[in-house]
Amino acid sequence: MARQPSILIVDDDPEMRALLLDVLRNEGYDTAEAKDGTEAVLALRRRGYDIILMDKNMPGPSGLDLLPGLRRVCPATQIIMMTAFGDVPSYMEAVEKGAVEYLFKPFRMEEMKAAVAKALEKKAESRA
Amino acid sequence: MTTTPAPRPRSRWRAILARNLTTRLVILLMLVLMTITGVNDYIRLARERERLLRQTQEDERIFAETLALAVSRNVRRGQTTTELQELLDDILARPGLVAVTIYSPEGSVVAETVAVGEAPPALDDLVRTAFRRGSQAAPLEGKSGPLLRFVQPFRWPGGRTAALEVRQALGDMERQFREAVRERILSRLEVLALLVLCLTAVTRWSIARPIRKLIAGARAVGTGDLAQRIEFTRQDEIGQLADEFNRMAANLQAAHDELVRQAQERLKLEQEVQQAQKLGEVGMLAAKMAHEIGTPLNVISGRAEVLGQVIPRDHPDRRHLDVILRQAERIGGSIRALLNYTRPRRASLRPEPILPILGRVAALLMERSQRRGVRIHLELPVGLPPVLADPDQLQQVFLNLVLNALDASPPGSVVRLATADGPLRPTEGRASVVRGKVEGPALPIHIIDAGKGMTAEQLAHIFEPFFSTKGQGLGTGLGLPIVEEIIRAHRAEIEMLSLPDQGTEVIVRLPLAHPEAAAPAGPRPTGSPHDR
Repeated sequence: MARQPSILIVDDDPEMRALLLDVLRNEGYDTAEAKDGTEAVLALRRRGYDIILMDKNMPGPSGLDLLPGLRRVCPATQIIMMTAFGDVPSYMEAVEKGAVEYLFKPFRMEEMKAAVAKALEKKAESRA
Repeated sequence: MTTTPAPRPRSRWRAILARNLTTRLVILLMLVLMTITGVNDYIRLARERERLLRQTQEDERIFAETLALAVSRNVRRGQTTTELQELLDDILARPGLVAVTIYSPEGSVVAETVAVGEAPPALDDLVRTAFRRGSQAAPLEGKSGPLLRFVQPFRWPGGRTAALEVRQALGDMERQFREAVRERILSRLEVLALLVLCLTAVTRWSIARPIRKLIAGARAVGTGDLAQRIEFTRQDEIGQLADEFNRMAANLQAAHDELVRQAQERLKLEQEVQQAQKLGEVGMLAAKMAHEIGTPLNVISGRAEVLGQVIPRDHPDRRHLDVILRQAERIGGSIRALLNYTRPRRASLRPEPILPILGRVAALLMERSQRRGVRIHLELPVGLPPVLADPDQLQQVFLNLVLNALDASPPGSVVRLATADGPLRPTEGRASVVRGKVEGPALPIHIIDAGKGMTAEQLAHIFEPFFSTKGQGLGTGLGLPIVEEIIRAHRAEIEMLSLPDQGTEVIVRLPLAHPEAAAPAGPRPTGSPHDR
């Protein structure tokens, strides 16, 4: 693999963003962050990402609202949704709208890393 | 007789007559009996009187004939007027005899004797008739009472006819007659008194007493003692009435028990629904809490995990980190446990007819709708296609929606439950909000109220937890979030259309259980409302 897989982290909580950024960067991924949907769209205009790790609950448009648009703009990008534990309806909606993985907060970092790896595998499969 | 003067005796008697069946019956019977026996007695007494009169007449006739024979013989023997007078005076001693007069063939009085105080007889038409046609009798009103006159012609020397008049007082006969009347009346009264006693006793025993028992029984049943029964061994009409009464009481009791059972069942159902609702609400709260706590908890545990990779396992301070990790895990576990406890179990979707579910909702809310004076109209045809649903959860959805509609409705208005492809109310100017999305053919159920409606601003927040348009303390603000959750779990769709003062229309679109069977005649496959 010539370049590092790129991941865009979208979460309104700066501490959460910082944690994910630290952990994923430590894993050697090319990471960027956005604090809401608007920033995420702006970031995607600048460049493409392999994976978007996005929180469901954000001020402004929610992760679920953004999902279909993102899928249209960059269909190759795998999107992993994050939400609170037990939010089954949003899980189902997210899967319907094309999210590849779903993480219930609080999740373990190992879990998150595994989900990212799985999403990358799927991306590789779809390209093949 | 009673000596206590009653203030209004007539009305008091009337009251007694009106209340007392026995008295009325006895009086009626007595009146009938008295009339019959009275008429009978009157006829008999009249005959008796006639008989007495005839007998008196007969007596007088015989007496007059005898006397006439004697006088005739004496005259022929040449007795003087004085001697005749003496004879007559002796005869006057006969009881009841008032006057005896002897008329000569010329009509002049030959001799006469008259009781003291009576007018002396004189020649009149009756005497003249007797001269010509033989003996005559006639009544006469004397000074001391009614008299009977009898004129008897007899032979006078020289072949001529003289006459003799006898006046007899009827007083004796009248006395006898009065005696007879008195006796008759007395014996009648005795019989009547005996009859009254017997009748009273019989009616009291066989009518009044059982009727009072029936009244007491009916009164007991009327005041709610449905176990009341009347025990009679008799087979007559009153016995049959008691049987019917007992049957009626038994039926009443059965109906009452059935009502109580139904009410209890409904109460139980309502409590179950409330319990489910409460649990759902607590679940919503827990979900909200999980949302709030999830991110910070994740940051804590994530940072601890990162640290855990840096600090070697045998480091003396490693245990602090492990405690942080374990405790964070514990908090997460607690929230999961709470959510698992309160979350309605997963919807188990199966083909279900919608009508029974809506019928149950209407039945559950019947009392509340009556209290609020709002009617619930189920305007759904039979034969609607079955939908994919978890009936309990769907019941909760419609319970919430109809409850909201009821609470928003003014008294006297109607909450309609109907099915139609498009909105049933004018869409112009109405704000709309949609949750969930239905794929393929669906059955739309509309819930329409005539309430105060909502602004677009209110509508935008309507599905948010803790948002309520009801007054403070009236709504939990969790009903519609739960509805949304269930709708999404059903892969169904809910749309709310509202405009202030125009009421609200809620459309729930439920996926059909057999989409392939949805011919064009069936409900139109309902896509996203934005397609319109």
